[in-house]
Amino acid sequence: MRYYELIYIVNSNVERKKVDQVMKDIGERLEKAGSKLINHTVWGKKKLAYPIRGNTYGTYILAHYNGGDNEKLSEFDSWLKLSGLAIRHMIVKLDKEPEVVEILSQGEAENDTSKDKLEEKEDKNSNDEKVEKEDSEDKTKKEKTDEKDKEVE
Amino acid sequence: MAFQTRRKYCFFKENNISTVDYKDVKLLKRFTNDNGKIMPRRVTGTSAKMHRKVVGAIKRARTIGLMPFVDNGSE
Repeated sequence: MRYYELIYIVNSNVERKKVDQVMKDIGERLEKAGSKLINHTVWGKKKLAYPIRGNTYGTYILAHYNGGDNEKLSEFDSWLKLSGLAIRHMIVKLDKEPEVVEILSQGEAENDTSKDKLEEKEDKNSNDEKVEKEDSEDKTKKEKTDEKDKEVE
Repeated sequence: MAFQTRRKYCFFKENNISTVDYKDVKLLKRFTNDNGKIMPRRVTGTSAKMHRKVVGAIKRARTIGLMPFVDNGSE
């Protein structure tokens, strides 16, 4: 059995209800293709590394499912692209069976997003720390790479 | 000027990591420079096997907007 991971980005300005509707639509469509959904969770609102269709922020949603009808799954892929429900999506084949994550209820999910924000902040802080650490540790190395970059440029 | 040699090591071997997930941006950022370019193996010291995985993961992360293709700080 093949397992797939679907990740897609939804406009972060839309209401929670609409996101749920999109998730429902996509879930139904997948089940039509003969797949079984294993996980379908909101990963959280994140800043995009570059603007996609004019959006700088996006809500990431993750889904795991097992393989159904191959033809229908490729149909699903193109349908998702044409439907305009997601800003962008990507389907990746997994090496092994994904772990089942409990689906959060709405209240918990909201808490989760706020947690995510906190985590993001922490991430930033820890990143800074890491950078400082790297600076002190790998100063010679970094200088070397910088020199190399300059040469390349 | 004294020339310091620094032992290069594979980050993944040191930390016993065998898989690279494209969602783990924090880890992948170690292998890109400030401009978002993937650093060569001769700089990072990663083993060939893991470097291939890292490259694949970074490219996936770029596709889905988790990592920049070009980070020139103009935002």
